[in-house]
Amino acid sequence: MLKLDNIEAGYGNTRILHGVSLEIPKRGLVALLGGNGTGKSTTLKAIMGLVGLQSGTVTVDGRDMAGIAPEARAGLGLSLVPQGKEAFGAMSVEDNLRMGAYHRRKDRAGIAIDLEAVYTRFPRLKERRRVAAGMLSGGERQMLSIGRSLMSRPSVLLLDEPSAALAPKIVEEIAEAILGLRELGLTLLLVEQNVGMALDIADRLYVIRGGRIAHETAVGDGIAMSELQEFYLGGHQDA
Amino acid sequence: MDLFLQYLANGIVVGSSYVLVAVGLTLIFGILGIVNFAHGEFYMLGGFAGIGLATVLGLPLIVSLLGVVAFAALLGFLAEQILNRQVKDKDPTNSIVSSFGLAVVLQNAALLVIGPQPMLLRTDLSMVPVEIGPVYLPLQRALIPVAMIVLVGALHLLLRYTWVGMSLRAMAQQPTVARMCGIRVSRVAIVTFMTGAVFAGVAGFLMSSVFMVHPLIGNMIVLKAFTVVILGGMGSVTGAAAAGLMLGIVESMTSAYLGNGLRDIVGFLMVVIVLLAWPQGIFGRKLERS
Ligand SMILES: Nc1ncnc2c1ncn2[C@@H]1O[C@H](COP(=O)(O)OP(=O)(O)OP(=O)(O)O)[C@@H](O)[C@H]1O
Ligand SMILES: [Mg+2]
Repeated sequence: MLKLDNIEAGYGNTRILHGVSLEIPKRGLVALLGGNGTGKSTTLKAIMGLVGLQSGTVTVDGRDMAGIAPEARAGLGLSLVPQGKEAFGAMSVEDNLRMGAYHRRKDRAGIAIDLEAVYTRFPRLKERRRVAAGMLSGGERQMLSIGRSLMSRPSVLLLDEPSAALAPKIVEEIAEAILGLRELGLTLLLVEQNVGMALDIADRLYVIRGGRIAHETAVGDGIAMSELQEFYLGGHQDA
Repeated sequence: MDLFLQYLANGIVVGSSYVLVAVGLTLIFGILGIVNFAHGEFYMLGGFAGIGLATVLGLPLIVSLLGVVAFAALLGFLAEQILNRQVKDKDPTNSIVSSFGLAVVLQNAALLVIGPQPMLLRTDLSMVPVEIGPVYLPLQRALIPVAMIVLVGALHLLLRYTWVGMSLRAMAQQPTVARMCGIRVSRVAIVTFMTGAVFAGVAGFLMSSVFMVHPLIGNMIVLKAFTVVILGGMGSVTGAAAAGLMLGIVESMTSAYLGNGLRDIVGFLMVVIVLLAWPQGIFGRKLERS
């Protein structure tokens, strides 16, 4: 379960988020859509604690995250797949995955089991396990990034534009993989610019514009893609 | 030819001490982005601590060595509190100014407490000769490259195969992702500073039988170590190891064949040439940062 209650956040004196609220039930998959620079990544960073809150609350599985350092949030079931698909480039794929389990490094048996589970989910990574992460293709790096997050055994997973800069075929693979994560019982927040993908897999959509939630709807309410696109591109004025 | 080999051996001995000092300097820079001008003082204080333990207290060498390790680790811990903890906003110029200040404070403290007269470590081992073909070294000196190989080898294994070492490399490569994995910056910083200080302190102790130790020796040592770090590529441990040995050997050959006056200049000439030809250092920066 993830809940943002009226959060305000920004960088230095610049406020980027002006009261963002959203709620994802356990096992829910919510998509947050919006154009460039509208505050999507900032929202995810605020949830992780990488950007400090100026006001509002972030609640994960009923627990208020205030005062908890980003380093401690992995241990509380929160994980982010960052926008740039960043990885530890000079380390092997397998070492990258292990680092995801750093906060429970004493649990050797559990780590071995989870590593196999990630390899089953992404067989490509198993083939490339000894390769330095810096040598991977974009799609492989996205899989590695998701795999590293899974190694932390999250209950809430945040994904920042996982489809960006990937070929359509790979995007489909990643979408499949994200759907697969629902079966693990994860609560998922998916930030996307790819509206088609979000409509395919999410059960609820939020549109963010200028650091505010401009629109919110359940998928399957007969929402038309064109209508959403209009919101997304800023054609509608806030109601 | 025989003399050449002797000069080579001398160069390897001195170069090994450069490696030990430079490795810590390059780790602190590569992982924390801190330029530590007080690094030479770890060397100086390690040397004095060792002489104190071995000559004044008369402890066995191996016990003195362990004492130096513990003392240097404490120094590293305290330096981290001052250079990293206090100057948290990570503007690289902050650490330059504060570490320079720390260096001056430590030098003057040593002048006050120990005094200006240089000291040399004399032990029974200096009487034990090691002869390899035409090369002659007192055992005390021959042990310096051995200690360097053991320490750098251990560091390599630590960085590659332990959680602590991996957390250091992770922090060097992707600090934000490392934090999200649960790695605490403060812990990494303490381990990095303690490791760097121990390596430099041990070098100071080992070299106190070769060169006189005095309160200002850190100035020269830190310049040599910076030369090595630049030649080897900022942040690269393997680069520092290779460049440290190279600098030691080149200096030894220079003073033997071209005159002792050029000894301390040749390193800086190399830096200028290398920076013009390979701005990333001869060995690139490939290990720590991707
Ligand atoms: N580290 C930073 N320091 C200062 N301003 C920043 C920083 N990161 C982002 N911003 C600014 O905050 C605003 C929102 O950025 P954010 O990264 O949240 O956008 P986004 O919705 O994720 O966009 P994109 O789709 O391009 O990733 C932008 O105007 C951006 O310039
Ligand atoms: Mg973004």
